[in-house]
Amino acid sequence: MKTIFSQPLDSRSGKPSPEQTAQLDNLTRQQLKELEEKEKTPLQKALDLVIVLLPLVCSVVAMLEYQLIPNYTANKKPMTYLCLLVLLAVIYGLYLLFSLVKRGKGDRTVFDKVRYKAPLYSALFLFLALYDYLTLKTGILMYPFVPHLNAILNIAWEDRAYLIECTLHTLRLLFLGYFIGVALGLVTGITCGYSQKVRYWVTPIIKFLGPIPTSTWIPIIMVIASSLFGGAVFIIALGSWFAVTVASMTGISNVDKDYFEAAKTLGASERQLVFRVAIPHAMPSILQGCTQAMSSACTAIMIAEMMGVKAGLGWYMTWAKAWASYDKMFAALFVICFIFTVVTKALDLIKKRALRWQNGVVK
Amino acid sequence: MAENRHVTLKLEGVSKSFAKVENDEVTHALNNVDLTMESGEFISLVGPSGCGKSTILRLVAGLIPPTTGKITVNGQEVTKPSPERGMVFQKPTLFPWLTVEKNIAFSLQMQGKLKGNEDKVERMLKTIGLEDFRDDYPGQLSGGMAQRVALVRTLINEPEILTLDEPLGALDAFTRMNMQDEILNIWRQKKQLAVMVTHDVDEAIYMGTRVIVMEANPGRIVADIPIPDEYPRDRSSQTFVEYRNRILNKLHYGGKHQ
Ligand SMILES: Nc1ncnc2c1ncn2[C@@H]1O[C@H](COP(=O)(O)OP(=O)(O)O)[C@@H](O)[C@H]1O
Ligand SMILES: [Mg+2]
Repeated sequence: MKTIFSQPLDSRSGKPSPEQTAQLDNLTRQQLKELEEKEKTPLQKALDLVIVLLPLVCSVVAMLEYQLIPNYTANKKPMTYLCLLVLLAVIYGLYLLFSLVKRGKGDRTVFDKVRYKAPLYSALFLFLALYDYLTLKTGILMYPFVPHLNAILNIAWEDRAYLIECTLHTLRLLFLGYFIGVALGLVTGITCGYSQKVRYWVTPIIKFLGPIPTSTWIPIIMVIASSLFGGAVFIIALGSWFAVTVASMTGISNVDKDYFEAAKTLGASERQLVFRVAIPHAMPSILQGCTQAMSSACTAIMIAEMMGVKAGLGWYMTWAKAWASYDKMFAALFVICFIFTVVTKALDLIKKRALRWQNGVVK
Repeated sequence: MAENRHVTLKLEGVSKSFAKVENDEVTHALNNVDLTMESGEFISLVGPSGCGKSTILRLVAGLIPPTTGKITVNGQEVTKPSPERGMVFQKPTLFPWLTVEKNIAFSLQMQGKLKGNEDKVERMLKTIGLEDFRDDYPGQLSGGMAQRVALVRTLINEPEILTLDEPLGALDAFTRMNMQDEILNIWRQKKQLAVMVTHDVDEAIYMGTRVIVMEANPGRIVADIPIPDEYPRDRSSQTFVEYRNRILNKLHYGGKHQ
């Protein structure tokens, strides 16, 4: 088949014709953005530079605050917190340097990112300084219930062997429960979304279980489960299963029937309608369910560990509290925050990657 | 490229009724329709909204079964959808999670025929001049571009019957006129049987070798007007205006000739 146009191709495809804009041809997204943005005034440029340097200034403020103001309580091994501050400042400095080098070579993306985040990083350093002032320096935040950062860092380092063991236990429990729940949830959700017969039997179960928070089951499971670990896995899996089932069921049953009709006339079999049309179409909803499942799993695991399972970070926290080692409690709290942040971020990245096609969709 | 076989598409005493959603009544979308169409014809279906135009296409595509009567292609009854009977919808219905290229290749891939046929995909991209957009997702395309992709996504199967349900209905006037010519060019190369629904009488006359006029309640055919004129047709010519008046009269929108 030859080209059927009477007119030049580019006017059909909506692109500018070559004579008009020869130099626009190889335009990248970044260059286009720069071209369309107003040229920044020298004042704005200077301001940008001040802003990206601000986190370094703030880090120095935090270091001086720590070093110069006399302590209210005892402070053993004072260098740990200082090292952390220096380390953070150096990391930021290197990042900034890297972005400046890149900008020198004409790539502004990294610098723009640094510029965007710089106020937040500054605030973080100031927050650290403030926290230190309120705890170590003045004791305004009731000592010893709220320990200062240096103490937390030191105790975390001293007790690292046990902390790591607990962390691994928590991770194992979390992922085992989560993946079992998600896998089963996908199977039930997708079959329910697609088959009316299965939906008939499964919907009542979901309607019944739906309003009950997963944590309600924990005391019962703790009593009847033969192994606490197995019981905890079951509870985490149950919560994840529920979130994923509901989300994928809704996703699948909301697929526009036009897509099925189009696919049928294009020769898709029943199986292909499920795997090539329904599931990809429901993907945003399914991944949303996976994120929700993770947050429900995180809640469930903490409750399970605090209530019965004698291992993991939740257990570590209750145990530390029982011994009035509040610094250990906070150390565990920070590890928990860190783990959940990383896990959520990772899920987000997966979601973004899988849903690339949604970018730039004109709504 | 192999020529398509010659096909005769027959609707014999076809009726189609739908149960209404809101009450116990039944909509008679089509009532006892007889229609014979052949390869080489370009059929334009016009009529008021709700007269069963889409229903005819969906029956031909095999997406729904008739209530009574039968639909045959060369004597063989249509029972299920097939890539041999391609359909283009008013909405492009491109799969938003697939790139332009993958959307076009979708049908071949579903049938397990993609291996060794990559050049077909290439040719289709070239036909619509969207080679530069092959890796874009449908969400980024304009309405006209999306409908072109939808058209070649169906054409890649070289269907012997091509049905189009108001394919240009959602496009602006200029894109629309360009695409009328594009569709005609494609059809004139292969001379498959094309059946197009439109609510634009000018479009029906400009493109069709036959214009079928329908009426609603119950859906039926009220006129079958052959348009033997040469392509490309002149929208302002005397004969064109006469066809238009004749069809508008049939649709009860006629003026002085009534
Ligand atoms: N799936 C369906 N369920 C119920 N009624 C339908 C269905 N499809 C079409 N109809 C009814 O059949 C009649 C004809 O529909 P259709 O063929 O879509 O008309 P047209 O395309 O000519 O506007 C309309 O009254 C419509 O409401
Ligand atoms: Mg219609």
